[in-house]
Amino acid sequence: MVYSPFDFNEAVAQRREFAEEGLREGSPVVGVSHDAGILLLTVRKSQRKVFEIYDRLVFSAIGNQSDVEQIRIGAIDVAHREGFERSPDDVTAQRLVGFSLSPPLKRLFGDQFSAPAVVRAVFGEMGRTPHDDVFYVLNYDGDFVQTTRFAAVAGSQAAEDRMLAELEGLGPDSTLNGALTRALRAWAAGAYASRGRRSEEEPEEGSGEDAFERQERIDAFLREQLGRAHVEVGVLERSVPRESKFRLLGDSDLQEVLRGLRD
Amino acid sequence: MASGDLLGMISPGGQPVIRLPVLPAPDALAGVGPGAAPAQVHGTTVIAVKYRGGVINVGDRRATANFAVMYDRAEKVLAIDDFTLLAISGSYARALEVVRYLRHSFRYFERSQLQPMSLDGKLSELARVVAAGVPAMMQGIGGFIPLLSTYDRQADEGRIFFYDGLGARFESTEFAAAGSGSIQIRGVFDYIVKARGPFHEMERDEALTQALLLLDIAADLDAATGGWAKVLPLAKTIGEEGIADVPDDELRHIVSAIDNKEALR
Repeated sequence: MVYSPFDFNEAVAQRREFAEEGLREGSPVVGVSHDAGILLLTVRKSQRKVFEIYDRLVFSAIGNQSDVEQIRIGAIDVAHREGFERSPDDVTAQRLVGFSLSPPLKRLFGDQFSAPAVVRAVFGEMGRTPHDDVFYVLNYDGDFVQTTRFAAVAGSQAAEDRMLAELEGLGPDSTLNGALTRALRAWAAGAYASRGRRSEEEPEEGSGEDAFERQERIDAFLREQLGRAHVEVGVLERSVPRESKFRLLGDSDLQEVLRGLRD
Repeated sequence: MASGDLLGMISPGGQPVIRLPVLPAPDALAGVGPGAAPAQVHGTTVIAVKYRGGVINVGDRRATANFAVMYDRAEKVLAIDDFTLLAISGSYARALEVVRYLRHSFRYFERSQLQPMSLDGKLSELARVVAAGVPAMMQGIGGFIPLLSTYDRQADEGRIFFYDGLGARFESTEFAAAGSGSIQIRGVFDYIVKARGPFHEMERDEALTQALLLLDIAADLDAATGGWAKVLPLAKTIGEEGIADVPDDELRHIVSAIDNKEALR
């Protein structure tokens, strides 16, 4: 089948719409680099979302569970094959995302005989110092963006922009608890923006609602969510003597931060 | 590859992600270098003993090739994961490859399957690796015998496993040793258990002292086992909290106590 220029644009737009529709409801993920390592945070009601890929690589994604799982397993395969054949030092997010994951996603997105992958993923790579930490956000069409200090993935561009604005100014010298608080606030801003407006009373975007009122609403929303969902945080720790640098934070690790946000 | 098979596109199947290290065929090594036979690095003593809180592993630092000392800072006690130590003896080249393989293999399993490999699974994997080395060993190269120590968090106790050259595994209740120096000290273990009580009831420092004393005797009786005149031996513990190095100054203290004959009173 050969597309005319018009059909081609039309087809791409439809596939984009299909993927974005599937992403819209996903609970956002925040990545933050801090002095003790890097973290990926989300708030979830069902299955686990933050995963270890390799010695210094963490991953999380929103989207279709099966697509997320295929990206995860594929990334683990590639990382371990390379780490074993060559060296763990040669396994980097840049190579993994740019050469191993992005091209197949792009190919799948352009393949008119199959559905595009519904996935938007974030990879975090821990360096030797906070200045060496990097994040990659990988999109369903194979496009990817590299950032430092922090990253955000949400169901819509507007929600992501809100989250990034919330994280702005976060430096590499922040502590774990400081980073967690900021990450949770950013999560709330993203989740609030990507969820459909539920009541008539809520003003529309740009309708004159001032920033203060909006923040009040988001804080209330976060408190409500913390009461009924689970905060999942996966961290890579820079200077632990353990063989494995990855750990999911437990309730006791989060207690202080959650208490601060609930009051 | 089916159209739209994302995983197939990312990671072509068919070949295992991590392959068991295979030694080159013996013919390929014959005649390399000035000597006719390939130089192989082997000979050592590694010891695992239990103590109240888990298992202690000690090993000398010498790596030999025939009658030459190749290296005096070899590390023969290596962490495979947070709760598993492997003490290696035999061909150093093969042993290091095996350690790399096991590290990747265990972690690949844990990361992809989202649960740690069971202890039994790990032991079987190690048995397979030992057995895979048999053909090369029959040709006189690359034999290697491991000791595996782990802290069993379900049973809340340290456990020690040893292997024979063909891959059969055995669990030891108290201690194990491997390497060329291990034969000479075999009876000393029994003497210690009979004279001082079982290792698993000893405090860490006492068990460590006994293990280092055993290593000292092995170095006296086996040319391929290094003493500690030049370089301190290597000691690691594994307990409830995971693996820890015994710091050098603590080691130095115990070693000099043994040298001054103060340690055993």
